[in-house]
Amino acid sequence: MHLLAPTTLRIAHAEFPERVRARFAAELRRAGSFAQLGMLGAQSCLDAAGGAGSLGVVWSSPLGALRAFRAAFDDDLRHDAPVMPFTFIAMQPHLAAALLAQRHPVSRSAHLHLAADAWPWLLRVAQGWLATCDRVLVGCVEETGDDALEHRSDWCLVQNAAAAGSVRAEPAHDTAAATSATTADWIGRIRDWRADVRAPLELAGGGDAWRFSAPD
Amino acid sequence: MNPVFVRAAALACALGPDLAAAVQRVSGTPATPARVSAAGASWPYFSIPVVADGWMQRAETIARAVGDDLRSRAALSSRDWAALPCIVGSSSHSVGAWDGGDLEALPLPLDFSRSLAAWFGARGPVMAVNTACTSGLSALDIAANLVAGGAFGDVLVLGAEFANRVTLAGFAGLELLSRTAARPCDRDRDGLVLGEALGAVLVSAAPGPWRVAALASEIDAASVTGPPPGGEAAEATMRGALGIAGWRGGAVDLVKLQAGGGPMADLAEARALRRVFAAPPQVVSLKGAIGHTLGASGPAELALLLGCLARGRVPETWGFETPDEEVGIAPAGGDARDVRRVLFNLSGFGGNVMSLALERTG
Repeated sequence: MHLLAPTTLRIAHAEFPERVRARFAAELRRAGSFAQLGMLGAQSCLDAAGGAGSLGVVWSSPLGALRAFRAAFDDDLRHDAPVMPFTFIAMQPHLAAALLAQRHPVSRSAHLHLAADAWPWLLRVAQGWLATCDRVLVGCVEETGDDALEHRSDWCLVQNAAAAGSVRAEPAHDTAAATSATTADWIGRIRDWRADVRAPLELAGGGDAWRFSAPD
Repeated sequence: MNPVFVRAAALACALGPDLAAAVQRVSGTPATPARVSAAGASWPYFSIPVVADGWMQRAETIARAVGDDLRSRAALSSRDWAALPCIVGSSSHSVGAWDGGDLEALPLPLDFSRSLAAWFGARGPVMAVNTACTSGLSALDIAANLVAGGAFGDVLVLGAEFANRVTLAGFAGLELLSRTAARPCDRDRDGLVLGEALGAVLVSAAPGPWRVAALASEIDAASVTGPPPGGEAAEATMRGALGIAGWRGGAVDLVKLQAGGGPMADLAEARALRRVFAAPPQVVSLKGAIGHTLGASGPAELALLLGCLARGRVPETWGFETPDEEVGIAPAGGDARDVRRVLFNLSGFGGNVMSLALERTG
């Protein structure tokens, strides 16, 4: 499996609406902020990766659509009113997948909640999906509930074939020898390492480890 | 890639607190669901017949019973059972614990999933999957991929949806609910009836009574709340599953429909079915009996269906009485001894459309 276009976005809360408008104009104005955040990162990754083909999207977040969730509780449920579309249950991740599917041939999508170090599950899932998808977008997104903190939207693309700028990604045999990484930083570590790929990078988490190396 | 099997399944739903009770009940006279209030109105709702003090205690009671039932059916050693990884599909997780309570005290989705796994006695890694109504089947999809790839030998898949006001209020806001009853494929269908369920499926590399022949998926971008009337994504998904499984249409003995009584959604699925199959096979819907259990519906309906088939019967479709000429398919129960290949359809918000192909091994 090959990984390309590791993309890490950090966006201050105050700058977020303008970033969305700048990238998508009015297209996403009715989508919630969590869906917008996922779309911003995913589209940036796809822009960097180029290429084409059927797409799977597997992404994780610790909290999910926190702001939308709170809006549903605070604005609607307390008054026993119907909850507005896109603010209840799981709408936001699926809205993002549907919006992405309006732009790209998405055939599989899943939003996951993982342990803080369980990021290798994402690559395991993506590896399985490559049996039926040409490419799989892998994302780790966190919408901050604190206006003083930055939103995070990290993405990479995996596929079976090597491509310009891609690195090989495979399960590592020795978990103990790998450097610990978290769901919040593993894509950034690959991005930083990719500037100098002379030695392979081995990252571990959740009892699993992956090895990243220059393509043959 | 390793072959993947459904080793065992268990269930709590409105038909009963365990699979045996549910299978027995679904062969009887259709029941009328209870009514609950949400968003300023009264709605029918399929509740699990379990009472406990408090929302979380009730969830634990239900989960422990389903866990014991699954464990007795799975025939795993205590050590292997304790090491099971667990993938939980849910659209609402523990949000019902908030009803009338404190939002800040609400467990995070992963924490609630860990509790569910612990109540089952599974101590391996835990993941929560959220793809709205297809959450449980997405969990099964991920589990099947992990087993096929050799990452695990067995994976516990849970579909969990417990009563809560926010989901009811959300569906009420979208005007997708019936005020009377779920009538899948019926001429008088007028919307969904929601329900709660906990479905559990043990996905395994070891041979079981059903082999997972394929699981195909599509994202229908036309609308995030329902399919376009043509049912193109459902058609593509069924064709995809047949292709992966290497089956011709005539090889399918039974299709478990997504149909839950939505006027357009049932019609779209039926149109897709009639295009895929020159002569549509026997079809059944389970949502008239247990409601639309949203993120639980994959594992819950799978457990109920396989439980019924193991007893030699395709259940009747509760709520279906009068055929709709435009829909053009008529669900029917009957003898299941010749049912060897099943297509299991599921779809949901965000355009997720899935079709699981299962083949009997014995």
